[in-house]
Amino acid sequence: MSSKEAPIKESPMCTTKGLGNYLWNDPPDENKWADCVHCGMCLESCPTYEQTGMEQHSPRGRVYLIKSVAEGKLEVNKQFMDPVFACLDCRACTTACPADVDVGGLIEEARGQIRQAMPLTGVKKAVNDLFLKGLFPHQNRLNAIGSLLKFYQKSGMQKIVRKTGLIHIMPKHLVEMEAILPEIKEPVRKKYKNEMVIKAKGKAKHEVGFLTGCIMDVMFSDINQSTINVLTRNGNNVVIPKNQTCCGALHVHAGDRETGRKLAKQNIEAFEDCEKVIVNAAGCGCMMKEYPELFKNDPEWHKKAVEFSKKVEDISKYLYDTGYEKPKAEIKTRITYHDACHLAHGQGIRQEPRDLLLDIPGVEMVHMPNADRCCGSAGIYNITNPEMAGAVLKSKMENVPEDVEMISMGNPGCMLQMALGVQKYGRNQKIVHTVQLLDWAYQKEDEWKNRGD
Amino acid sequence: MAERRIQSDDKHIQNLAAIVGGEHSILYHKEDLIAYDCDGFTLHKHLPKAVVFPKNTEEVAKLVKYCSDNQLPFLARGAGTGLSGGAIPINGEVIISLVRMKRLLNVDLENRRAVVEPGYVNLKLTNSISDKGYYYAPDPSSQYCCTIGGNVAENAGGAHCLKYGVTTNHILGLEVVLPNGEIIEIGKNGILDTPGYDLLGLLTGSEGTLGIVTKIIVRILKKPEAKQTILAYFDKVSDGSQAVSDIISAGIVPAALEMMDKIAIEGVEAAAFPVGHPKDIEAMLLIEVDGISAGINDQINQILDLCKKRNVREVKVAQNEQESNRWWANRKTGFGAMGAISPDYLVQDGVIPRSKLPEVLDRIQKVSEEYGLRIANIFHAGDGNLHPLVLFDARIPGESEKALKAGSACLKVCADAGGTITGEHGVGIEKKEEMRFVFTDEEIMAQTNIREVFNPNNLLNAGKLFPTPARCVEIKKERKVSHERRKVGTT
Amino acid sequence: MVQTDLLVDLKGILPEERMVEEEGEIHPLGNGGKITVYPDSEEEIAKILRYANTHGKKISIVGGGTKRGFGGGNESADILLSLANMNGIVEHTVGDMTLTVKAGTPFKDLQNALAAHNQKIALDVNWPGDATIGGVIAANDSGPKRLGYGSSRDAVIGLRVIYPDGTIIRTGGKVVKNVAGYDMNKLFIGSMGTLGVISEVTLKLRPLPKYESLVLLHFPNGDLQEIRSFAIKVLDSMLEPVALELLNPLLAEKLTGHHQYTLAISFEDNESSVHYQEEFIHKIQPEKSQIDILSQNKARAFWDQFYQIAPNGAAEFTDTQSIEAALKIGVVNLDVLNVLREVQLLQDSHPISILAHGGLGHGLCQVIVKGSSEEVLSAIQWLRNSVERMGGYVVVKHLPLILRQKIEVWGKKPSHFFLLEGIKNKIDPNGILNQGRFVGGI
Repeated sequence: MSSKEAPIKESPMCTTKGLGNYLWNDPPDENKWADCVHCGMCLESCPTYEQTGMEQHSPRGRVYLIKSVAEGKLEVNKQFMDPVFACLDCRACTTACPADVDVGGLIEEARGQIRQAMPLTGVKKAVNDLFLKGLFPHQNRLNAIGSLLKFYQKSGMQKIVRKTGLIHIMPKHLVEMEAILPEIKEPVRKKYKNEMVIKAKGKAKHEVGFLTGCIMDVMFSDINQSTINVLTRNGNNVVIPKNQTCCGALHVHAGDRETGRKLAKQNIEAFEDCEKVIVNAAGCGCMMKEYPELFKNDPEWHKKAVEFSKKVEDISKYLYDTGYEKPKAEIKTRITYHDACHLAHGQGIRQEPRDLLLDIPGVEMVHMPNADRCCGSAGIYNITNPEMAGAVLKSKMENVPEDVEMISMGNPGCMLQMALGVQKYGRNQKIVHTVQLLDWAYQKEDEWKNRGD
Repeated sequence: MAERRIQSDDKHIQNLAAIVGGEHSILYHKEDLIAYDCDGFTLHKHLPKAVVFPKNTEEVAKLVKYCSDNQLPFLARGAGTGLSGGAIPINGEVIISLVRMKRLLNVDLENRRAVVEPGYVNLKLTNSISDKGYYYAPDPSSQYCCTIGGNVAENAGGAHCLKYGVTTNHILGLEVVLPNGEIIEIGKNGILDTPGYDLLGLLTGSEGTLGIVTKIIVRILKKPEAKQTILAYFDKVSDGSQAVSDIISAGIVPAALEMMDKIAIEGVEAAAFPVGHPKDIEAMLLIEVDGISAGINDQINQILDLCKKRNVREVKVAQNEQESNRWWANRKTGFGAMGAISPDYLVQDGVIPRSKLPEVLDRIQKVSEEYGLRIANIFHAGDGNLHPLVLFDARIPGESEKALKAGSACLKVCADAGGTITGEHGVGIEKKEEMRFVFTDEEIMAQTNIREVFNPNNLLNAGKLFPTPARCVEIKKERKVSHERRKVGTT
Repeated sequence: MVQTDLLVDLKGILPEERMVEEEGEIHPLGNGGKITVYPDSEEEIAKILRYANTHGKKISIVGGGTKRGFGGGNESADILLSLANMNGIVEHTVGDMTLTVKAGTPFKDLQNALAAHNQKIALDVNWPGDATIGGVIAANDSGPKRLGYGSSRDAVIGLRVIYPDGTIIRTGGKVVKNVAGYDMNKLFIGSMGTLGVISEVTLKLRPLPKYESLVLLHFPNGDLQEIRSFAIKVLDSMLEPVALELLNPLLAEKLTGHHQYTLAISFEDNESSVHYQEEFIHKIQPEKSQIDILSQNKARAFWDQFYQIAPNGAAEFTDTQSIEAALKIGVVNLDVLNVLREVQLLQDSHPISILAHGGLGHGLCQVIVKGSSEEVLSAIQWLRNSVERMGGYVVVKHLPLILRQKIEVWGKKPSHFFLLEGIKNKIDPNGILNQGRFVGGI
């Protein structure tokens, strides 16, 4: 057609030239964008496109930019970085894509290139390092912070900070975060540190490894406790390998694939003896299922990663697949369910947690429109991109039905973010993890039995 | 998203930014613009000068006036899902993106209408009224993300237009910014047949060359009481297309009557929404009937009988809504699914008298052989709207050109069969030359004359829809007229 | 004499026997011509137009003449171009359900021919025996069943049009779905012959319904509010009426013998679904309303009669005492009730009789006013005032020439009139076609 279109000069046929301006190891995989036919079916699934309406902030646009760098049309620079890092990594586009383009994978690879091309500097680097290198991989430090937070809450300091107006000195989004800090309890890794195996109640049918998670165990150790309770009640011996570590999702999202690989290796080794690795944080589960992506150029570890990834299972899916005792006690509540991105889009788990909730007598489920739309948490996105995260949260909260008492979900990041939403928009829902509700039902049943006995 | 200053010395960029309220509503860096160098049609690319994001009609009018006063070419863009390149800035246009004008302004169920802004997404309208039992009928396959403004520009169709018509049959009124910046209202209050030439009909499908639509009054319909979906597999394409003819001839008006051929089935089965179609069948029909529940079984039984008479291998009725939804998701993502079996594809959009289906398919097969490219066929068989999908790999030198030629050859086949070159995707830049397959120079000029009334300086979306050099036509025409005059003079 | 010159010139184009010189009195509806010509091919039409275009002659176009009283302020143009000889089906592809036909073919003839194949053109028009398909399209006539089937703009898929300079232009095509280029068909539908002469029409067809019935619901206490709530109930139900037309008591009396507001609800589908819908109406019918169901032939007979209530421009003029006017009124759907209320008020306070009906699902009304010239004119003004307050419009579809000269047939010019004028000037720069017949005198 170029022959008949004489006036159009700068319109070369699209040709793909090698990998153009990606100059570093582990570049985005050409085959991933080859499937994209630019149809645009992904646009409406993307929270950042919804907010900005800008093509470069859409999955199609991002893939196009990533491809343009490979074609030598763009360079890896700040203008390229912005849209690539503004992605929430929610994977909703992967669900929407008719051709199964792995947008999330491409984004993470591109981030890897950007981080190598433009290492972070200054304050950003400091913050990034603090969270990603200094904190998440180190359970002891996390625990220490947890203790501090606990002290902060228990000692009355929280009250003082809030009362004296000290709180107004903190940046706005950190103030908001402070307000929704869950009550800090003892981490399960501390609690069970002397138990090799937490025994199943009754006859043991399976033995599973349990990833306690880094933040999860500090901020939400009660959920970890619930997970253990539910697993053991349903005939599972639970093992918590000692040298397990942070899954690395946040690092990989941030483009630090090297640390990601390091953490992955540690976990692969830590869970070597487990047949199943049970996860109650969707983000971690999704990451661990994708470990093979990190070792494309390392056949030995790639093989191990593939083996490992097959063992990883989300708690809701695991219970659904292996069967669980239907609780008999009633929990009378109206509830809605939020699909964590990395559960619904990342792992295709949608129905299992809903069924689990519906199996609890008394639970009335109210449909949330766009339930699988990202809440804006996206790992530490709400810390790094507060404005966008806030906008995404706002539209999420608009979809939360007015008359429910609880919002259930399967990811700690979402829980914090949704709690923030509830607080910020004057709502009064309780945020719960799916497995918690099941645990409570069991507990209620036991109490009721005990009283009856 | 932090507030930034305009980092450009270009006074036009600064002035345009001032109209839309600053940095958050304008793009002008190459890295941002590159994502706008094409739409759903990717074989031509050109960077725009800038992309602006107005919030309301007044801003659109100001932008248009500014561009017009300063001789800057400009065009409107919605979701950019168009398949003929209508939103590609081939002249380095200022793109006026309407995606932030995405409000549903009013729903009037009693009078069966809704008012939307152009950036409102097609499917959202149906979703927002479906709990009350209503829907918006035009359903292009991209309805999850395409905007109603874009639908108006392209006169978009969809699977269900066999019974319910295309976009133009559902537009009651428009607010339009003319290429000089003036705002007009046509089809005021959505009342039918308002006196005057039918500008509503003319603007719908004018591919953004006559004005920029800023408000749309659409007709909404009550959902049919009952709906059933039928899936039929045929070992021979000719049997499948005969069945289509038989169904229509029997006086049944299905809501949709879709067909896919073997390669298309291979594509959708390899992609994200497989339903387990047998791989060895030559044709698959997806038929939807709707209407009053009391009468629907008669229709179903009749269709099943007609399929059986044409040697159907298997025919089944969806057992529930989920099953029907799965069949439809499989069909509706058909184009994108081609990504799963081919790195690139070119979708064509011919229409033929539906009785010519078998013959035309044979000839398309010949085109495929001639160019050595696989061609999958997805079509709205009920109204003869074919989508031959030419599969190719742009990384192989010369293959893009070959695909374009094969696509064009498919359109020639359609035109020669008494059909046309586009049923719902529009001409854009893709099929400009193919316009000559169906229109004479005079007929093309009759259309460009109308454009001149609205868009005299041709700054709005220039170089679209019509073959480029219309000048020689004008000269020829001039000569002819004077010749006629002489003749008349002597009689 | 000028007319003789004209005759001589035209004789060079057409055989003499297809030319008639106008004699005697001026037709009371105007829109005539000094010489009527009967071309029987596009080439002849093209020659006539080309001749007129270069010689500054004005042309008026006529089909069956039923709309002769619609628009235009002239007694007579130079040439009255009749399409009576452009008659007949060009192509009916039964399997494709498309029909190509010459513009001068009477509507009824077409429907009869199509009925043999169980097909129809899904338009219901006034005076189908006289009206030609070209005229129906040029004037964009439609009836109550527009609710179910749409109008000309939904049925026409292609046209052949002869431009004033003699160029023959095809618009659209022969296939039911087509977006190649501008949708030029739309420009000519309802253009009142001011842009070109439509010589050939291609339409998409629909199957004849397997069964039809008409439910007549009479409302004895005349409570429009009650009718409104009932209509909303119908519209909000799963029913699929092809017409939901409200008749004023006078019209209802004429057609059904009941002097009561009457809803004419038409169902066309297979028999079981039609009966199911009748049953449903039974169930929800308001307490005091009375129901009559006309099936099949009886329903068709009702509609046949219905299509003949409007004044017919082709009929002989007999009554010189009272004047008849027909109005097309467009409002937002349910405002039809308000239009009919205005009609009632008007009739109660003036010595006129009014037949009126309007579609509650599409918002178009037809109002036929009979009375003295003065009363008719003031009734039009009254209605126009109140309809414009509702945001709607009133177009005078039929009125004697002498009265048309006193009012704006089309109402006020729209604000975007310059576009309409621009289109007209582009296509017919010398203004030879149906001059002054349309909005704002174009």
